[in-house]
This record gives sequence, structure tokens and C-alpha cells, in this order.
Amino acid sequence: MQATSDKRWFKRLGRSFSQVPLLGWLLGALVAVALEQIGGLSLAWAVGLPKIPVLFGFLMALKKPLLVPSALLYVVLIYVLPIGVIARVSASPLNRLAGKLFSSSLVISVVIHLGLLYATLHVWAGISDYRLLVLKLALIAILLTLSLNVVNGYMGEFSCSHPGFMALGAYGASICTVVLFVDDKLFGSALLPAAIGPFFFPLALILGGLLAAVGALAVAIPSFRTRGDYLAIISLAFMFIVKSMIENLEIVGGPRGLSSQPDWANLPTVFLWTVAGIWIINNFVRSTIGKALNAVRDNEMAADAMTVNTRRTKFIAFCFAAFWAGIAGGLFAHVLRYVNPSTFGIQKLAEVLAMVYFGGLNSVYGSIVGALGISLLGEALRPLEIFKWIIIPLLLILVMIYRPTGLIAFREFDVVKLLQSKQHSEKGV
Amino acid sequence: MAVFLQNLINALQWGSFYALIALGYSMVYSILMLFNFAHGDIFMVGAYIGFGVSTALVALTAMGAFALPNWLILVLTILFSMFLTSFVGMIVERVGYRPLRDAPRASAAITGLMIGIILETGNLALLGAQRISFPPLIRTATYDLGGVYVTNKKIMIVVVSLGLALALHQFIRRTRWGMAIRAMAFDYVVVPLMGVPLNKMAALTFGLGSALAAAAGILFGVAYPVLDPYMGILIGWKAFVAAILGGRGSILGATLAGFLMGFIEIFVAMVFPSTLRDLIAYSIILLILVFRPHGFFGEPYSARLRL
Amino acid sequence: MCKRLLLVGMLALAATFLFPGVRGAAAVPTIRIGINAPLTGDIPKVGEGTKYAAQMWLEDINAAGGLDVGGKKFKVELIIEDNESKAESAVTVATKLITEDEVLAIIGPQASKQAVPAGEVANNYKTPMISPWSTNPDTTKDRPYVFRGCFLDPFQGPVAANFIKDEFGFKKAAVLYDVASDYPKGLAEFFKKAWEEINGPGSVVAFESFTTKDVDFSSQLTKIIQSGADVLFTPQYYNEVALIVQQAHQLGWDKPIVGSDSWGSAETVKLCGKDCYGLFFSTHYAAAGATGATKEFIDRYNAKYGYVPDDVGALTWDSMRILQQAIQDTGGLSGDVKKDRQAVRDALAKIKNFEGITGKMTFTEDGDPIKCAVIVRISDKGEFEFYKSVCP
Repeated sequence: MQATSDKRWFKRLGRSFSQVPLLGWLLGALVAVALEQIGGLSLAWAVGLPKIPVLFGFLMALKKPLLVPSALLYVVLIYVLPIGVIARVSASPLNRLAGKLFSSSLVISVVIHLGLLYATLHVWAGISDYRLLVLKLALIAILLTLSLNVVNGYMGEFSCSHPGFMALGAYGASICTVVLFVDDKLFGSALLPAAIGPFFFPLALILGGLLAAVGALAVAIPSFRTRGDYLAIISLAFMFIVKSMIENLEIVGGPRGLSSQPDWANLPTVFLWTVAGIWIINNFVRSTIGKALNAVRDNEMAADAMTVNTRRTKFIAFCFAAFWAGIAGGLFAHVLRYVNPSTFGIQKLAEVLAMVYFGGLNSVYGSIVGALGISLLGEALRPLEIFKWIIIPLLLILVMIYRPTGLIAFREFDVVKLLQSKQHSEKGV
Repeated sequence: MAVFLQNLINALQWGSFYALIALGYSMVYSILMLFNFAHGDIFMVGAYIGFGVSTALVALTAMGAFALPNWLILVLTILFSMFLTSFVGMIVERVGYRPLRDAPRASAAITGLMIGIILETGNLALLGAQRISFPPLIRTATYDLGGVYVTNKKIMIVVVSLGLALALHQFIRRTRWGMAIRAMAFDYVVVPLMGVPLNKMAALTFGLGSALAAAAGILFGVAYPVLDPYMGILIGWKAFVAAILGGRGSILGATLAGFLMGFIEIFVAMVFPSTLRDLIAYSIILLILVFRPHGFFGEPYSARLRL
Repeated sequence: MCKRLLLVGMLALAATFLFPGVRGAAAVPTIRIGINAPLTGDIPKVGEGTKYAAQMWLEDINAAGGLDVGGKKFKVELIIEDNESKAESAVTVATKLITEDEVLAIIGPQASKQAVPAGEVANNYKTPMISPWSTNPDTTKDRPYVFRGCFLDPFQGPVAANFIKDEFGFKKAAVLYDVASDYPKGLAEFFKKAWEEINGPGSVVAFESFTTKDVDFSSQLTKIIQSGADVLFTPQYYNEVALIVQQAHQLGWDKPIVGSDSWGSAETVKLCGKDCYGLFFSTHYAAAGATGATKEFIDRYNAKYGYVPDDVGALTWDSMRILQQAIQDTGGLSGDVKKDRQAVRDALAKIKNFEGITGKMTFTEDGDPIKCAVIVRISDKGEFEFYKSVCP
């Protein structure tokens, strides 16, 4: 009796929240993080925590299990409750607003949503620099995962070369910025004034991306004649080659690595690049060529017969994916402000593959969820030390067994559906 | 000439390991058309089991329970560890591969990778961080053959691994089980319908592959007596390259390609500056695959590729 | 019901904002020290040594009832974080320790590939950091807040070269090193430079390399043997040393092999066995025949954890002690962690002739210690015997 009424209660709650537009959730999140900014510390003290729990209480709760109820209470009070209340209360006015925005101009609607999202992240990360760093690395992981998904998910190859592409991008961009704007003992004094540096930074990143795309030719061209496992080891060999090449290039520091990159990869930059990456990759995979990728994956011969130019498709897909992996690498190098070749080895490969397959193949949502999930989990479980690397793989195995294609696979990322007023869409159905 | 011969012997020894491990990949591939990415770590587990078994045997001998000569201990260690490790392989199959029989191949690759990480970390958590020294069961004897140095260990390693490869070949050719494996490799869909138990065959190949990996692990312990939890990663990936280079699912191909990998690595370091070894060695492999896209004994991909 | 719950929640929330809670009475003032160690990943043994040495130090402090700074007892808390032997992880750990745990100072990371980027973070946040083991000059260069506990490659390379020259009088040397790891590579190059300065160009007749995690060096060793070198210098970690030495002997090499401080682990002899007896290497301290505080440390560590500590353990111990010294030299902590970090940093820079178990230490302007190196001979019992001492 009790159980059924509970169930109904949940259902009602679920239905009432299903009408909340994205705008409402974002507003709620913004208010929640603003509340945290203003009163988080006193609330944390009130519930008996030494300070604001930085990753939703995971770190504290795992170190001192006694704090679990306090951490939970904190998370409920500061995140769940305000978000829930605001989302529910503001649902109908915001639905109207979202509808209006949506019908007047998609661009403005997108900009407003992104602005809210950025503001939320900015305030959230403003609490502590540790959060900021974790957030930046997670955003970069999204970009990397997404670019690998283009090859492994949409095109259905098993490419192992992504750490190599990332290394090329990281080194390409770093060399540009370090040569031009930094007084460095490897390359001598700066060639250009540092003031124009931040404007030049996107160019450096793109250059790194292009370098990675050129490197991708080494994998793309053999892919015309072979695929599957053979291509997997071609890409694996490529990764070893890149690593060995950088180790032998004394000019970029060899195994000692390249340091003193300028500190330009701040949150807005990383955020903008990630958003741009998601947008462009999403459009890419939904375009004709994206559909051609799926055709090549499902049956290359049939695709060929149906006038898909398979060579061109593979070529573009590899270069495109490598480009974005290179951008991710460039950002990565400038967030850490140090790169060395051993970062881009088998360990990195396992990490990226895990993110792609955890999140879901053939899906932009999946890559976002996978990258955020694994990188936040990796941080949150840090207090477990060694056992972290037993729990995360176990989790992944379970996901693979119960959802073999990943958590959210084969789902289209439809911006229009996302931004629509939810009441509107209810009526439409 | 002496240098060449010396390196030939070096390469034979080094290639033996690649060959033995690559055989494990190939066995599993021939049935399931999947690669077992935990194989490198099964190799590691095999070496550790070998360490445990041999230490126990040495201790028992020392306590006077029975008197065994050291070479017999080594033989027993290899046999016992192959037996025990084959169960590790079957467990890996049961946990990580059987539930994913109908899933995309890449998903099984991920479970394999993750099981590998669990094996490594589990070992680290259980045994601590120190490296383990494999007990020196046989005394090293070095023979000087006109400037070419050969040790008894090297001879033993090459002979044992060639012998195991040959035994596997005979097993596949002559026995009923072997025939079933060949049939399954021929057609994955129809043969199970004719009464060949797929799950049993998969477990068998995992067990056989793991047993070979255990043998490789112990020989590795004899030649390079330093064991650590991460020792299987790099050699595992390189043997994976060899397994594919040989042609998927081909016993002969995997053995030859394993030796080829050893030869490439050793001779590149001999001819070129050794700092460039990886760069050149992998470029050669890349080129081989560009010109022989299906390895040496593999067949062109086509309808057989499941995804 | 739903509404009532909400109401209660909102009220609770409002209450906490209206009456900012008082931080739970700070009974014992605490000093937090961060340890950034590679507990998993490529070099777990290094992480273990770091952790054990740090915990042993904490025991001492706790036994004394806390750390006495300026007449006040402070409780000390160690925050040990795993950096997985990854550069990015070392950076996040350093950031977390500084901004989240508000540590007074950080010990570690150990390997240069992590210490270089983590040092950048520590320096930006003006938090003193001591890397006990990183030998890359970039770790401390132009970073006033970053210090290290060991000597650098530019010092150790010539030490080894001069020692070989004086001891054996050889003219031709061979080097075997790991090209993908910065410590061996750096040291190999400094050795080569020093050797060629002594013996003229071309006197390093073989300069061979391999890649991290390789176990078969037969091709490189065959080349070295063919080159006619009199001595092999191999600045490798102990696990590789065992393999290199054994394989060299199996290939017919019977000349001396000389190593560097990375040989200085109890595991060297355990893994290498009789093959390593009689070889020399340069290092921080000699375990066998150690006296005074060094012996005391080794015996305690051995009794507690069951093995003779590596150089990492000893250097971490020294770094902890030197940090303790600096904290005590500040003469009192204000409780404001930013001010205290500055004070500790200044005190660290002022430390003169600190008596560590790995030798006397004084920091240069860059934060590098001026220390003596010790040449150690592996005795026929497999112990590390003091052979001679070389000072800068």
C-alpha cells in the first residue's frame, strides 16, 4: 500500500518535472551554485563539514565515512533542493520564454542557454581552483572522446592512434606559443609581444590540430585497403611511432618534455572550444558524410555500391577526428603547461577508449556522459588510492555486460528538441 | 659475422616470447573472432603463479619433503602453472567475454582491457609494490662458440617454445577437439548448430592460450628474472601486433610473426642507432601492413567480419 | 506532504544563511602536509617508499605529542594522494592539496615528469614544495617555492666519469640508457659530456639506448661488447640494472659496470644476485656501514617494513625533516595558511648545513641542495659499502 503510493508520488513528480525546459534547469543550477558561493561555507559548517565539499562530497565522504550524512544533506540542500524548486516554480514562465526565444531566433536561444551554462560552470568552479582544473580537464576529455567516437563509433573502426594525434596537437600548439611568445631556453627569446598572444592562441591550436590531421594520413591511407584488426594495429604502430619520434626530437625537449607554455587555456577558452567542437562534430556526424560513415561501418561494399565514396569518407573522417584530437591535445598542454611524450602512451589510450565505450558508441550525448563520468569519477574516487583502479574497471565491465554499446548509444543530439519549450512539445504529441 | 650470429640467437630468444603470447591471441581469435586484451596480464599472472609454485617446490625440497633436482622443479612448475593459469583464462572468458557474446566486438575488447587493469591493480594491492625475483632454478652456463655467446637458458627457451607451438599445432591437427576448433574457425554460425558446444570451445581456447601464456611467463622469469605487476602490458600489446601480423587465427602465422617481431626489434637496434629503434621497427610493421593488408597468413576481410 | 517537506527544507536553508555557523571549535591547531606520491602506475615502489618514510616521520611527531613551533604544539596531518605516475594527475593532486586541503607544504612528486608540472602549480600558489627525487633542472629553475632533496645530473655525471678515470684509468666507455625516461637520459648525456672532456671526443665508443619497460638488451649489449669499451655506465633503475648486468655477463662481458644513484635500492641485489657483486655506483648514502642517524633510520625502516629503504625513502625522510626544520625555524605559525607558507619558504631558503641522513644540505638560490655524492661498492655479501666520497 505504502509502496504503491510512493510510486505514484514519484511518477507525479517525474511528470511535473518533465515539463521543465532546459532553460529552467540551467537557471536552477545557476541559482544553486550562486547560493553555494554565498552561503555554502556557513551551510557546510552548520551540517558539520570542515569546508565546502568540492566534488559533491565524494572526497570527504570516502576519507571519513562518518561525514556521509552531512555530505548528503549538504548536496540535497545546496543542489537538489534549489534546482528542483526553481525548475518547478519557473517552469511555466520559462516555457513561454523558451518558446518565444525559440520561435524568434535559434541563435539567440542557443547563446542564452550557453551563457547560462557557462555562468553556472564559472560560479561552480569559482569556489576552488581544484574544481576549475578538474572541470577544464573534463571538458578537454569530452572533446577527445567525441573525436574518437567519430572513428570508433560512427565509422566502426577500432583506432588506437588517438594518443598519437593528441601528442601531435599538443606539441604543435605548444611549439607555436612557446617559440613566439615565451622566453625559453629551448627556443630562445620571444619573437612576438606577449600582449597579442591570447588572440594568436586559437591559431596555434588550429595549427596543432592541422598537424595531427596531417599525421592522420599515415592511418587514413592504409585504411583504404584494410580495416578492423589490421587497421587497429596500424594505428597502434602509429601511436608508438609518434611517441618514439618525439622522444628523439631533442629540439622539443625529448623525454624531458616541453614546459613553460603560456597560461592561456582559461575556462572561457576551454569552454568555447569544447562547445565549438561539440557543435561542429555534431553537425558533421548528422551531415551526409556522417551518414556515409555509418554506411561504411555497417557494410563497406554495400556503401560503395550505393555510390558512397568510401575512400573519401574514411579519409575525411580520420583527418577530422585527428584534428579535434589535436585541438584537445593543444588545450591539454596549455592547461597543464607541460607535456612529455610518455603522457601519450598506452595508459592514455585505455583511458580514452574507456570513456568512449562507457558513454556509448555513435552518440554525442554518450561521449559527453562518458568523458564527464570517467573523469569526475576518477577524481572523486581518489581517496581510495589503489582500489580506485579496481572499482572503475569493474563498473565499466558491468556497463559493458548490461549495455554492450555503452550507456547512451545511438542517440542523436538534437539541439532543436533540446531548446524547445517543453509544454509546447507535450501539446504537439 | 659473429655479431650477426649473436643477434640471431638474441632474436630467437626474444621472439620466442612474442610467439608464445601471440599464439594465445590467435587461439581465441580463431573461435570467437575477438582479441583477448587481458592476455598480456594473464601472462603476468602466469609468471606470478609460476613464481609461487616454484618457490613452494623449492621450499618443500629444502624442508626435505622430497628431493627434486632443480630441472625437475622447473618442469613441474611449468606444467602446474600452465594448468592453474588455464583456469584464470577460463574465468576471464566466463566473466568478461561470455556475457558479451552477441555484443559488438569492441565492447568485449573493453571488458578485456578492464579485466587486465583489475588483474594488475589486484596484484599490486595483494602483493605490494616490490618487484619479485624469479628463483634461479637452473644455473646459467655460458658457452663461447668463437665469439658467439650462447647460454643454456637461451637454448632451453627457444626449444621449449618451439616445442609448445608444435604441440599446439598437432593438437589442432590431430585431436577431435582440435578438429572442432578448426570447424568453428571455419564457420562460427553453422558449426554450433551441428552440435559443437560453443561455450566449451571458447573456454578451451582461452584455457589453451592462457596455458601458453603461463609457459611464456615462466620462461620469461627464467630469462629476465624480474617480475612486476605491469610487466604484461607492453609485451602483450606487441604480441597482439604479432598475432595480427601473422594473420588472424593462424597458428603458423602467429608463431612466425612472433619471431619476426623479435627479429625486427633486435636487428633494427643492431643496424640503426638504438634510440630510433621503436620509430623504425614500427614503421617497418606499418609498411608491411600497407603492402600486405591481411598479414602473412590471413585472408582478406569480407563477410567474416562481425561487428 | 511534498510542499511541507519543501517548506522545511527552505527554512533550514534560510536559517543557515541567517545564522552563519561557527566553525567547530578548533581544539588543536593542525599543520597539514601534502604527499604527492605515485602509489599506482609505472613506479609503485617509489610511491610506497615515499609513503612509508612519510608515515615514519609522522610517527615521530605524534610520539612527541605534535610538532613544536614557537613554543606551541601543533598536530600534524599527512594527506597522501596518489598521482598514478601521470603528469596530469600530479597537477590535479597538487592543486587539490593546495586549494582544497590547504596544506602548508607539499612533499613530492618524485619523478621529474610529474615534478616539473606540479612544481609550476606549487610555485603559482606560493606553496613550498620539495621534490625529494627529481633530478631535472627544470623542476626548480626560476621557481622560488620549489626545492629538491637530491643532487642534479650535471653534478652526478662528472662524478661518475671522474671516478672511473681515477679508479681504473680507462679510456673507452660505453653507455646504455633508457631513451624514453628523462632521468637516465639526462644523466647519460652529462656522463658522456664529462667523459669526452676527460678523454677526448669519441671516447664514448657506444651510446646505446632502449625504451622504458624493455627487458631484452641483448642487441644493444652485443653492440657495446663489439665496440671495445672498457667500462659500461648505465644510469638505470634497479629492476633494469639486474637484467642489464645479467645479460651482459651472459653475452661474455667481464669488464666493470658502473651505475648511478638509481641503483641505490635494496632490491638491486635481491633481483640481480651475485652478478652485481663488486660493481660500483654513485649515490647519496651507503647503507652498509652507515652510522648515526642514517643507520638508525635504516634499521627502523627495515624493522617496520621489512626491507632496507631505497634512496627514495631516505631522500623523502630528509625532505620531511628539512621541512620540519623550516617550519620550526619560522618561530611560530599565524594560522593564516598563505602567510605561513611564505614563512616556511623563506625559512627553507635560509637553511644551512642541514644534517640529513643523505649528507649535509644547503639550498642554492634555485632551491637545489649542495650535497656530496658517495661512491658505493656492492660487496661480496651484497651489501652497499662506502668506497669514497666526492663533494662539489
